[in-house]
Amino acid sequence: MYRLALKMLLGDRAKYIMLVGGLTFASLLMTQQCAVFFGLLSWTTSHMRNMRASIWVVDPKVEQINEIKPMRDTDVNRVRSVTGVEFAVPLYTGVIQARIADGSFKPVEMIGLDATTLVGRPPRILSGRLEDLRRPNTVMIDELAVQRLSLSKDHPLRIGDTFEINDREARVIGICRTDRHFFGYPYVYTSYDQALQFAPRTRKMLSIVLAEPAPGWTATQTARQIEKETQLKAYTEDEFEKSTIRWFFLNTGIPASFGTTILLGFIVGMAVSGQTFYSFVLENLKHLGALKAMGASNGLLARMLLLQAFTVGMIGYGLGVGLTVLFGLAVLKKGQPPFLMPYQLPLFTLVVILIICAFAALLGIRKIYKLEPAVVFRG
Amino acid sequence: MLFKRVSFYLSMTGIIGVVLLVHQLRQTPPRPVPVQEPARSPYTNSVAATGIIEAARENVKIGAPKGGLIQKIFVEAGSRVKIGEPLLELDSRETRAQLAAMQAQLEAMQASLHSEKVLAADAADQFERTENLARQNVASVDERTRKQFALQSMEARVAKIEADIKAATAQVELAQTNLEVLVVRAPRDGTILQLNVREGEYAGLTPTEPLMILGDTDRLQIRADVDEQNAPLVVAKQPAVAFLKGDTRNPIPLHFVRIEPYVVPKRSLTGDSSERVDTRVLQIIFELERPTTPLYVGQQMDVFIQRPDGAVLAQSR
Repeated sequence: MYRLALKMLLGDRAKYIMLVGGLTFASLLMTQQCAVFFGLLSWTTSHMRNMRASIWVVDPKVEQINEIKPMRDTDVNRVRSVTGVEFAVPLYTGVIQARIADGSFKPVEMIGLDATTLVGRPPRILSGRLEDLRRPNTVMIDELAVQRLSLSKDHPLRIGDTFEINDREARVIGICRTDRHFFGYPYVYTSYDQALQFAPRTRKMLSIVLAEPAPGWTATQTARQIEKETQLKAYTEDEFEKSTIRWFFLNTGIPASFGTTILLGFIVGMAVSGQTFYSFVLENLKHLGALKAMGASNGLLARMLLLQAFTVGMIGYGLGVGLTVLFGLAVLKKGQPPFLMPYQLPLFTLVVILIICAFAALLGIRKIYKLEPAVVFRG
Repeated sequence: MLFKRVSFYLSMTGIIGVVLLVHQLRQTPPRPVPVQEPARSPYTNSVAATGIIEAARENVKIGAPKGGLIQKIFVEAGSRVKIGEPLLELDSRETRAQLAAMQAQLEAMQASLHSEKVLAADAADQFERTENLARQNVASVDERTRKQFALQSMEARVAKIEADIKAATAQVELAQTNLEVLVVRAPRDGTILQLNVREGEYAGLTPTEPLMILGDTDRLQIRADVDEQNAPLVVAKQPAVAFLKGDTRNPIPLHFVRIEPYVVPKRSLTGDSSERVDTRVLQIIFELERPTTPLYVGQQMDVFIQRPDGAVLAQSR
């Protein structure tokens, strides 16, 4: 009987394609839009993946990583003096104009790392040695900077080449890979002391203090202890990420606009797939009625319908996420638009698709329960 | 019959693809470890400070007694000098010329003193003889008195020239002192740590940087700056260690010397004189044992001072 159900489903090629197409479209819409949205959200915290540390100490009023209010540079020693801090190092971040040889200028995100330990360094270095940052007027740039700051496509910026930051010569000593900046600026890494020379002079220059908890302390405990003793704000990696995303939800229109797109995607997906499956059931009502007349029980017919529903559901879902993967691969290679797929996303889409199918099957099952077998013979 | 469908295989590919992509995206690189061990406090509770190495008994910034061109420099950076040794000499040509003129004048005066003395001797002789003649009533009283006045006049002239010579000698001595002042001498034993001027440069009275810095490098000390907000945590006579910037593996033990009683504005460590300061720092002086690695005056260090358990900041919250 189940073979018969599958035959019924696959027999009519046009209907089958319609059905699978609808579900494919729905799952593609949901997965892809969500992935782009998550990607965009992940861009807001890209700083935190490009400079890694357990604890981030900032001015008490700082809520998110992209908006930093500088502190006094003696604050590093205040953080170091806190019990439970293994070590603490200063970090500078700021957007500075870089100028290339043909006179055009591009904003770059400059990161100043503590020269001794280079804590907060980029995780993936493609070429060059980061230790060379201890030499005067040196910077390490990311791949985007190579693209942006090169004179032409044929002559990409290489190790040893120079450009200008704030009227000072900067020599490239390496190239690293970074996660994309929210505003699309390239990252330029240098040592803290040199960053202070490159950066326009302001009264306070220390952006962030990066700290690690002492053995026997968790990052959260140490962060709270830092807050207690210094009155500065200390975030663990996780807290700062959440706080940043929260800030974007509360202060920008990004989540609202994307939220509506995703919601519409869901509604459209649900409507399309539900409707196609329901019409499929309606059209096959005759055959089901015949089966019922031949003595098939309601339960058997319901199981047959569910099998059909979940089969098209799974195939449509597979095709949909497959297309999303293709989109993702293309996009990730280019780096734009944003794309991020946490494991929850395909699982969530799967559940939603199955719910849609189950719902459509239930409508069909209700119809079958009410169906009089005699209807078939009435013609 | 489902297995005959292309769509089935495409869909399976899609599902496998999404699993792989999710797996790939989840792979975040691990947090990189510090390139070099960061300076860690060896104590459970500590006060961190930034220190700068200076010569014991502080560095002497050598100045010039007056503005002038530098004629000669007797030392170079790193020279060891004893107290009173000449360090540099300002342009002395004018003073030397003055001295020569004074000396010539003195000599001229001494020569004229000699001739006046001869004349005085002559006058004395004439007076003596006239007096003898006058006693025998050969010469007139008038003649004797005239000779007497002539003698007195000559004696007065000698006395004046002698006084003039004294004044001229004093002038010569003044010129010599002036010459001496132009030579700057070491106020104490030590090593020239920094030499900022060259022969031929002008030594101003208010230079932006000292002409040279003299210090005793045999014994070094560390001046540790503690943020004034942490000042209550500092307790005297606590053990402390220091780490050189760039060498965080060899802690250098420190011995407490004193806490400076005056809290000073934080000295800019970026070296920019236009930096505005809004923090004051408590300075603590430590003596250090010279490690095997070379140490230089002026190097920055990370300092950790042990904090007794009782020392905690009063919480405002």
